[in-house]
Amino acid sequence: MRRIFTRVCAAVATIVAATSSVVVAGTYNLTVDPVEIDTGEFKKTGIGYNGASPGPVLKFTEGEDVTINVTNNLDEATSIHWHGLILPYKMDGVPDISYSGIEPGETFTYKFPIVQSGTYWFHSHSGFQEPDGAYGAITIAPKKREPFRYDRDYVVQLTDKHPHSGSRIMRNLKMIPDYYNRKQQKLSDFFSDADENGMSATVEDRMSWGSMRMMPTDVEDLQGFTPLINGKGPNQNWTGLFIAGERVRLRFINSSAMTYFDIRIPGLKMTVVAADGNNVQPVKVDELRIGVAETYDVIVRAEEDKAYTIFGESMGRSAFARGTLAPRLGMSAPVPEMRKSPLLTMADMGMDHGNMEGMDHSGMKMNSSSMKSMDHASMKGMDHSKMQKPENPFYAKRSGLIPVAENGGKFLSYADLKAQKPLYKDRAATREIELRLTGNMERYIWSINGVKYDDADPIKLQYGERVRFKFVNETMMTHPMHLHGMWSILDVGAGKWDPIKHTISVAPGTTVFSETEVDAEGQWAFHCHLSYHASAGMFRKIVVEGGPENTAEQPIKKGALQ
Amino acid sequence: MKNTIVSRISGITLATFVILASPVAFASGSHGDGHDDVKKTTIGAPGKFADVSRTIEIKMYDNYYSPEKIQVKKGETVLFKITNAGEFVHEFNIGTAAMHAEHQKEMMMMMEHGVLEADKINHSMMKMDMGSGKTMDHNDPNSVLLEPTKSAEIIWNFSDTAKLEFACNVPGHYDSGMMGDVHFN
Repeated sequence: MRRIFTRVCAAVATIVAATSSVVVAGTYNLTVDPVEIDTGEFKKTGIGYNGASPGPVLKFTEGEDVTINVTNNLDEATSIHWHGLILPYKMDGVPDISYSGIEPGETFTYKFPIVQSGTYWFHSHSGFQEPDGAYGAITIAPKKREPFRYDRDYVVQLTDKHPHSGSRIMRNLKMIPDYYNRKQQKLSDFFSDADENGMSATVEDRMSWGSMRMMPTDVEDLQGFTPLINGKGPNQNWTGLFIAGERVRLRFINSSAMTYFDIRIPGLKMTVVAADGNNVQPVKVDELRIGVAETYDVIVRAEEDKAYTIFGESMGRSAFARGTLAPRLGMSAPVPEMRKSPLLTMADMGMDHGNMEGMDHSGMKMNSSSMKSMDHASMKGMDHSKMQKPENPFYAKRSGLIPVAENGGKFLSYADLKAQKPLYKDRAATREIELRLTGNMERYIWSINGVKYDDADPIKLQYGERVRFKFVNETMMTHPMHLHGMWSILDVGAGKWDPIKHTISVAPGTTVFSETEVDAEGQWAFHCHLSYHASAGMFRKIVVEGGPENTAEQPIKKGALQ
Repeated sequence: MKNTIVSRISGITLATFVILASPVAFASGSHGDGHDDVKKTTIGAPGKFADVSRTIEIKMYDNYYSPEKIQVKKGETVLFKITNAGEFVHEFNIGTAAMHAEHQKEMMMMMEHGVLEADKINHSMMKMDMGSGKTMDHNDPNSVLLEPTKSAEIIWNFSDTAKLEFACNVPGHYDSGMMGDVHFN
């Protein structure tokens, strides 16, 4: 249990000289160690910090100048990236872009000011050390009072721990891209579909999928993992304590290599108060989907003296994370069954132009259920609460991935995210950069504009400009795009209230826009945060030209990634 | 009795002249003609200026009150001076938790219909006929809904020691903690 309400100096992080009244300066020590990870289903050697995976929760304060000494006890090079933190680029921790990494036996000292507050995380940016366990959480206490209230808070850090090492997984995916896809369609599915939709439609359907080199079951290209919450598997049941009536802030962090989670707490509503560390106008939901590398802070209030299950189904429904909120240790609540796996549709292929209904069975199902809530004739009296539910604009129409709350209630959409206090003045972008997210599933190549990282020139931005990124997802997978060093202002159509994020999830068959005020000099990484997609080439270096110190374009070789 | 002014709003008038001078049962945050299906609770009543024994200043920020709890005596009549010092629309509403929960549904409806935006109130839309003669007027004597920088007053007689909260029922605000307890001495 990692209770972090009080600013306790964690055993692992030593705060030195934190007592001065004006400038707080903390020193923290991290060791990068080989560790054993026990998921309750299997044990596996991996990598951790200060002897454990996940590593410690680093608790910083806005305005603090931190010094972090990272000692590499591995027999290979390592690195730590502070995910979501705004800092000088040489402190960003990406080998070959920010610095040269940390060699075995070496101690690297990070020094940077903490200029923000909220929930973030850190992880290795070398090889597949992050999927192997090298991650931890960061919480930053704000200088000013927060726009919400809670009695206690917990980090709820998720991951998808796989029995295979990251490098073995990558080798297997390169050889056989569906190596880890256990949910393939069988011959019997073909006949039942033919029965339902007619033989010719079914044959046509299968041929379309074949020419896309994809399958409707390609929601998760990595299955067979055990989801963990704060390092604990479903049976080990991570538990956070509360007293009935208290407000509890849960800081969800998705540190998975590959897995999106649909999170709910049956019996409780969650009020979302922050996304990717930044406060948003509070929105009460029944369920939310957290993309890889994203964070969401929610406040829950349990009035009853009983246990509640934190339930996080993977988006492809191949596994679930489970934890408990309880008044006393040892209590538990029923663990729901997982729902049916979604199937991708023609819409997710970007091919649904309205004339393919026959092939679009699972998508149709979704559509008819959302139609029900738009049935004005069935409304009575003042109950307009179900009126005009907008379709989720961040999924393709009739996509098989459109999330629906298990209890029929409210599922968080990006469209609900509005900044509590906008960081930037709203202004028109100076130019647009189109980034087509591209790939070839059969060869497990992932790229941007058809070019993988090794073959690509850096994207050059000018200091002081505001660029508008147009993400066009031409693949059938969902990509969480992470820009280092600068915020991504996600266009949700809310103008000045558009929220700022560090990771923008782009669903199949959709185009998503985000804008960035180019206010950080130097060079930065920009990539899909699915570990194996980043490694396969969906990655770019960003070079910011100009700026006060004009330090851009350092002669560092490119090559190593994720 | 029509001249008992229970709330004087500087800024925008939200139709807050009220007709009641004795303790009454309020349905939760009734819009227009009120709801009769909600359990009635005695939460006190609008008071008279002449009976005011104390003034409590309430500042509304994003998204919390200062102070976050108040102390009153049974029978006491309090003048609340309420200022919205935040950048969003906020409400000050005296009621029970159940009443607030009901009222939150109505405020959600106001937001979904564009009557209420994060930082402004579209007053002209409040008169919109929602069917059955109901409107989205926000005119209960136990509450005020204020745009940023606006202020208002409520005179309230705490005639009964019910378990009361003051709360902002703008969607999401109550749930993120914008409420406070009324303690009876």
